[in-house]
Amino acid sequence: MGQPQHLYIHIPFCHHRCCYCDFVTYAGMEDRIEAYVAAVCRELAMLAQIGHGTPACFRAPLRPSIFFGGGTPSLLSPAQIERIIATAEQVLPLADAEISLEVNPGSFLGTGLREQGRTARHYFGKLAQMGINRLSLGVQTLHDPTLRVIGRQHTAMEARQCYDAARRVGFAQISLDMMFGLPGQTLAQWQADLEEIIAWQPEHLSVYSLILEERAPLYQQVAQGALALPDDDTSAMMYEMTLEQLATAGYVGYEISNWARIDSVAGLDTRCQHNLAYWLNSDYLAAGAAAHGHIFPARYANLAQIDTYIAEVSANRRPVETWVHLNQADGCAETMMMGLRLHTGVRYDHFQQRCGCALDAVYGGVLERLVAQGLLERDEHAVWLTYRGRMIGNQVFMQFLESGSKGSMAIPLRDSA
Amino acid sequence: MSHQQYVRNFSIIAHIDHGKTTLSDRLLELTGTISARERREQLLDAMDLEREKGITIKAKAVCMRYTAPDGQAYTYNLIDCPGHVDFTYEVSRALAACEGALLVVDAAQGIEAQTLANVYLALEHDLVIIPVINKIDLPGANPEQVAEEIEHVIGIGREDIILASAKAGTGVPAILEAIAERIPSPRGQVDDATRALIFDSHYDAYKGVIAYVRVVDGMFPADTRVQFLGTKAQADILEVGVFRPAMTPLEQLSAGDVGYIATGLKTVEDCQVGDTITLAERPANKALPGYRPAKAMVFAGLYPIDSNAYTDLREALEKLKLNDAALSFEPESSSALGFGFRCGFLGLLHMEIVRERLEREYQLELLITAPSVEYQVLQTDGEIVAVDNPSTLPSPNIIASIEEPMMHISVIAPSRYIGAIMELVTTRRGSLDTMDYLDPQRVLLKYYIPLAELVIDFYDQLKSRTQGYASLDYALSGYQEANLVRLDILVNGQPVDALSMIVHRDSAYNRGRELVARLVKIIPRQMFEVPIQAAVGSKIIARETVRAMRKDVLSKCYGGDVSRKRKLLEKQKEGKKRMKMVGNVEIPQEAFMAILSLDGKDS
Repeated sequence: MGQPQHLYIHIPFCHHRCCYCDFVTYAGMEDRIEAYVAAVCRELAMLAQIGHGTPACFRAPLRPSIFFGGGTPSLLSPAQIERIIATAEQVLPLADAEISLEVNPGSFLGTGLREQGRTARHYFGKLAQMGINRLSLGVQTLHDPTLRVIGRQHTAMEARQCYDAARRVGFAQISLDMMFGLPGQTLAQWQADLEEIIAWQPEHLSVYSLILEERAPLYQQVAQGALALPDDDTSAMMYEMTLEQLATAGYVGYEISNWARIDSVAGLDTRCQHNLAYWLNSDYLAAGAAAHGHIFPARYANLAQIDTYIAEVSANRRPVETWVHLNQADGCAETMMMGLRLHTGVRYDHFQQRCGCALDAVYGGVLERLVAQGLLERDEHAVWLTYRGRMIGNQVFMQFLESGSKGSMAIPLRDSA
Repeated sequence: MSHQQYVRNFSIIAHIDHGKTTLSDRLLELTGTISARERREQLLDAMDLEREKGITIKAKAVCMRYTAPDGQAYTYNLIDCPGHVDFTYEVSRALAACEGALLVVDAAQGIEAQTLANVYLALEHDLVIIPVINKIDLPGANPEQVAEEIEHVIGIGREDIILASAKAGTGVPAILEAIAERIPSPRGQVDDATRALIFDSHYDAYKGVIAYVRVVDGMFPADTRVQFLGTKAQADILEVGVFRPAMTPLEQLSAGDVGYIATGLKTVEDCQVGDTITLAERPANKALPGYRPAKAMVFAGLYPIDSNAYTDLREALEKLKLNDAALSFEPESSSALGFGFRCGFLGLLHMEIVRERLEREYQLELLITAPSVEYQVLQTDGEIVAVDNPSTLPSPNIIASIEEPMMHISVIAPSRYIGAIMELVTTRRGSLDTMDYLDPQRVLLKYYIPLAELVIDFYDQLKSRTQGYASLDYALSGYQEANLVRLDILVNGQPVDALSMIVHRDSAYNRGRELVARLVKIIPRQMFEVPIQAAVGSKIIARETVRAMRKDVLSKCYGGDVSRKRKLLEKQKEGKKRMKMVGNVEIPQEAFMAILSLDGKDS
């Protein structure tokens, strides 16, 4: 049993909610940040004390990682981030760790911030000192009218300045979050976005297709016809365009929505270690309200409400809302569902090690069918999605979920008041 | 004779929402049958479904004691009758059990088509009609105009019409008095061989089938053996009594009485509405007139979504059948849908009620095919076969001719909609019979129209084209030869039997094109291109293509929330499971109902 290698920290605060978002985050509760940070530290201390072990078979050959996600982690002060990292050090080894933080370019706007010295450049400089070595910038699009429609509070110019500041400070790992399939977005606009961000030469790109979530305000606007999304064909073309242009620019689409630079000869690999832990179905801890962790043999989800979360931790109880116990079949299904998202696919030895059984013994028939349909390809080491399979990945992934299975039992620990 | 002299048997004829239920409740309250406090809302409509749909599906009978202003005591039997055209036969039997009827008309709405049809039924049975104009206190009430309409259409003088507001209680005492004064007492022969008319029945888990009867002649003691003249069944009576409104056992039921007979029978099929009950020991030799076994008019296939639920569906249908003599079903199989049942219904409402009860009371998930009617097919070998499922239509080269059921329909609507109604009926192969103005603003239109055209969305179309003002009544008028062909739908080159329909040759091309256009919208993109074709015989008359799926992949990162990703995929997979696999194409259930909403909505 070794120490856990990966930690997710959720920062559920935003100045403003984007209209497509249905993540757990709260606008207008920034006065709780200080108490929240204290609670996260306390939760981390609890995790350290419990001393979760991760068996070797649930560890991927990755560097350790911490990922600050949100919400808007860039609303935290450098001092708050420093405290969290310092506490996290009791939980996992940080030497050589990838420590990422999501940044909203809108976090450096607004009256007074500049006077307080909260410029992007100053802020990033501090982050670098705290040990943050990877930034993920939420650019989304560089088309100003579209940014306004989706409720982003920054302009394209501010995103450019933000990227520039991160570069100048010397961050060696910068990732950009981009989205296509946005309301009113055209192929030409998306092409212009792609061309510009390629020119920036970020080390990493996450490109997501907008997903209309029922609980997000955008859903209503689209349902009522106030906004129109690009049709399926246009959205497909946008994705095809992304695959093509990023490949031409030398990026490897190492996951359905993620691109990095990989050059084994030059020893270059800018893949996100933290997200790879998810795709490889490794163990990872999570802290903060609504955070989701995976510690064999269970997944857990923390309480989502900020105040409930703080209260629970203050009472010295773990703020977990549900544990989902995973059986072997779940492990197999999830290893495939996640692993096939990678361009390297699922290695048989990894599957054997992770699930305790041979891939073909469990899924031989399914694999054969999907290969025959031209959705999967395989050799003596691994199985992976074809280009067509990547385009319609859901049709592939769902074949590994047991039909009609209720999934694992979710055990609510308390009323989710 | 003295017993019958103070009995009054009557019914209430009213359109939905014209206030029948409220008036019934008032009568029960004023006669002390129930108190206002113990009154359950809409007492007479006991079944949930009935209350929800605001209609009375099954007739019930309540026995009241009324004391007239002169101190004379009367027994009032109120026989409730269904308010929907699907149940016209039940209405006619309920009316046959009465000597009089209250005609309740909304002071703002006037007479509606079904009401009028039921009034004519009542007049055929020589019932005394007491017209009541209800809701006179509502804004928009125009009792004068409605009174004129009643006078003009039914021929009852202004002086005989009672103005009422059942809600406020206004006019209700006058109605109670009029029942005693105007409706004649029953004139049965107490000493004749015993005969009773069954006007309704239901299955009770403890007492077997309960027959709702009107005793015409003679007398039923509480413990005797009875015989059914129509079905030939026999039974030992467990109990007789009346509804006050709870079941109240009595020593006997005799000529003129309305009440129930608990038969102990296991299925209502043996105790059909309209049949005559007599005593087994001394049977009457002549049945009461008007009996006809329940006959299905509309047919549809019912299939369980989960093919493992086939047995459950059969058991549920068997149970429903215990209580619903009009429901018929037999096993059928479809290459597209698997194993299911071909069910016969009185009409579309009846079909909808059966489907809802199966889903609600038996928790079955069902797929129901588009309704069909029963065709009489004359083959070249001289044989006549009845076809109620388009996919079983004989091959065209052995068909000499096809006859289809025709309906005689009545539509009452404001005269400004005549054009819209004419257009609708004409596109549905209907022909005008008569047109009469009920008053300067309202018109009664009668048409002949094929039943097949009526069952497909006709009522909804009629309502939408007349902004909800038109009312409809219909009755079978006979069979008529027509130039009919079977329209087949091919999905990915394979005919889908459950999507076939029988249409007039002239409209085959348009129907085919419309249906194909709709299906292309309903059938989701598959992993490959799927042609959808319409064909008559071997000739393809329309074609569209469902293009192949281009992109379907969850791209969003849920911050380590793998369960959520998994749930989304499971949901998607569950959605696929609810579709029917035809060949290797997944067809959603709506596709099988697409035929129903063909009426240029997309064109």
